[in-house]
Amino acid sequence: MTEPAKEEPRRRIGVVVCQCGGNISDYVDTEKVRSEIAKEGDVVSARVEMFACSDAAQQNSIEEIKSKKLDGIVISSCSPKLHLSTFRAMSSRAGLNQYEYTQANIREQCSWAHTHDREAATGKALRLVRAAVAKTAKSEPLEKMRVETTPQVLVIGAGVAGLRAALSLSDMGITVHMIDSADHPGGHVGRWGTLFPNNKVGKTVVDGLVQDVRTRENIMLYLKTELVEKSGRVGAFNVKLRTGNGAAIPLQVGAIVVATGFEPYAPQSGEFGYGLPGVVTLPEFKELLGSRSNKPTYEGKEVRTVVYVYCVGSREPAEAGNPRTYCSRYCCSATSHVASVLGAADPGLHQFHLFRDIRTYGKYETMYEHALQSGSVFLRYDEENRPTVERDAKGLVVRVKDRLMAGEDVEIRPDLVVLVTGMVPRANEALTRVLKLPLGQDGFYREAHVKLRPVETVIDGVFVVGASQGPKNVAESVTSALAGVSKAGALLLKGYVDLDPLVARVDPVACEWCGECLKACPYGAIEEVTYGDKQVAQISPILCKGEGGCVPVCAKQAVSVLGYTNEQMLSMIDAMSPGIPGKAGAPSLIGTTSRKVPVKEGA
Amino acid sequence: MKVDPDFLDTLRLGGEFNARQCINCGTCTALCPLGMEIMPRKLFRYALLGNKEAVLKSTEPIYSCLLCKMCEANCPGGVHIAENVRALRSYLNAEVLEV
Repeated sequence: MTEPAKEEPRRRIGVVVCQCGGNISDYVDTEKVRSEIAKEGDVVSARVEMFACSDAAQQNSIEEIKSKKLDGIVISSCSPKLHLSTFRAMSSRAGLNQYEYTQANIREQCSWAHTHDREAATGKALRLVRAAVAKTAKSEPLEKMRVETTPQVLVIGAGVAGLRAALSLSDMGITVHMIDSADHPGGHVGRWGTLFPNNKVGKTVVDGLVQDVRTRENIMLYLKTELVEKSGRVGAFNVKLRTGNGAAIPLQVGAIVVATGFEPYAPQSGEFGYGLPGVVTLPEFKELLGSRSNKPTYEGKEVRTVVYVYCVGSREPAEAGNPRTYCSRYCCSATSHVASVLGAADPGLHQFHLFRDIRTYGKYETMYEHALQSGSVFLRYDEENRPTVERDAKGLVVRVKDRLMAGEDVEIRPDLVVLVTGMVPRANEALTRVLKLPLGQDGFYREAHVKLRPVETVIDGVFVVGASQGPKNVAESVTSALAGVSKAGALLLKGYVDLDPLVARVDPVACEWCGECLKACPYGAIEEVTYGDKQVAQISPILCKGEGGCVPVCAKQAVSVLGYTNEQMLSMIDAMSPGIPGKAGAPSLIGTTSRKVPVKEGA
Repeated sequence: MKVDPDFLDTLRLGGEFNARQCINCGTCTALCPLGMEIMPRKLFRYALLGNKEAVLKSTEPIYSCLLCKMCEANCPGGVHIAENVRALRSYLNAEVLEV
């Protein structure tokens, strides 16, 4: 008995079917997948491994790549999010171009998703592996692009986060250009008195940092200066600054650290009595106190009774498109701190805190306890029954329903009402436009991923730190600044950066320049150039992220993403679909629908 | 209720009234063998908020207290409840009963 003769293989592809120690093989018949895929024309070896990622299995794969002279490998295992880089590195070690490796996800997408149906899970796994083989059969070797980096950083904002970032970058031997739109460095912190939790004075902290900055030869501080232009790519941005007197300064920097900070929320006139004499915000109260810690006075009169109203401007209901639904994090701690400092210095001072929830998280809880012990009284109010602040002939009067007394009406006549206001994003439209930075729902700059890629943005080499990214206290702001510093340092100190070659490419012969791709590109990677006697699109492989938005909008199918070309995607669909009803004569997906072609390997 | 901040100062001068650590959990009231609604959580809340009227109206509960310290032994905030009741009594002795 002889097997039917195989076609002469065009490619020499190896397939590994991983059992993931039962995670896959309990629900997918891995042996059946292996024996079926071995019949594919381009497949010259197919084997099952208990753990394809184990050292021993990787060694087997390397041996096989070498001995069978494989020019492509498919590993059907878990999500590429987990092991794409593992197996790419393995391919490189075996002398196979890492972009000739394809991962088929038969764990998350088959065995974990279809535990109830072994046969269907096996069938789906086989289709996914066939698609991966089809894609690999049309793969081409690609090389990462190595570009040089400039060891200089632009820090935008000379507040506490920016100053700290500049000093740390300077420590690493990186030249820093720091700009600020104000005529003096220091930001908000310089105007505040005693800071929590260490009772340091804001001005002292900032003055120390500024003094240190001024002694550094590799930190250039430009005041009353704005960033007006940015072009180039990670490692070599061309930026243009404009100074207060209109002079333009062109620079080349390798990375940009955005530390533009926040604005304190400015209550509307009449909001909790704001605008009445004796009603101030927390930052105004801090300025009023300065560095003193007892006997606060307001307009020359000693203050004996203070009422704090919490959550002013924060945690608003989401309706009416209000972006201020977030908690500003720092205000509860800051107010508890102020109250405990004042209360400890003067036990006769009466302080009433009208709060919704107290969020003195972490070790700041002790400041709340100190505030309680130093005589502060906390009254909880409902979101629906907010306190009112009015002024009559006898002075200020605050009314609140105390939840701890079942909503009993409480009337207080304070000398001063402090509205505990949160943080709002700075009005930075011009800068946001120049940097093309995306904003989050709350209007602050958005990180690429809050846990996996903090302080990074979707634009390589541009980092958002401090309160520009979201409300933070001083310690958190500085921590975030240092995170940005280490990311920028890691990027620049190496001297070069290797970029992924999985980027879009234009076929200038097919391109007729309509400009649709330019509109679809969020990275500014596409430009119009002359090609022979016509205009065509050209894509910078360095700016391109391989996002693929330009591919489906091209009427001429002139754009494709390397590693995920139109031919590859079509052959994957063909390989996946035998036996699916309605497949015959179905229109090609590309060019006929607006559906985007998936471009990055992901779960 | 109108807050009278000076009332709390008066209480403090008269004795050792101090319920600052009170977190209003109500453990004291749940454990109180007298079962009087105002004792002791609400009473202390009134005192903390400087509600003189409510304290003056509570003469009976304040004197009913057995000083058994069941509440105090179980107070998570460590408030010296019995001491505070004594402080309130000494205030009432001077102000109301004039003894």
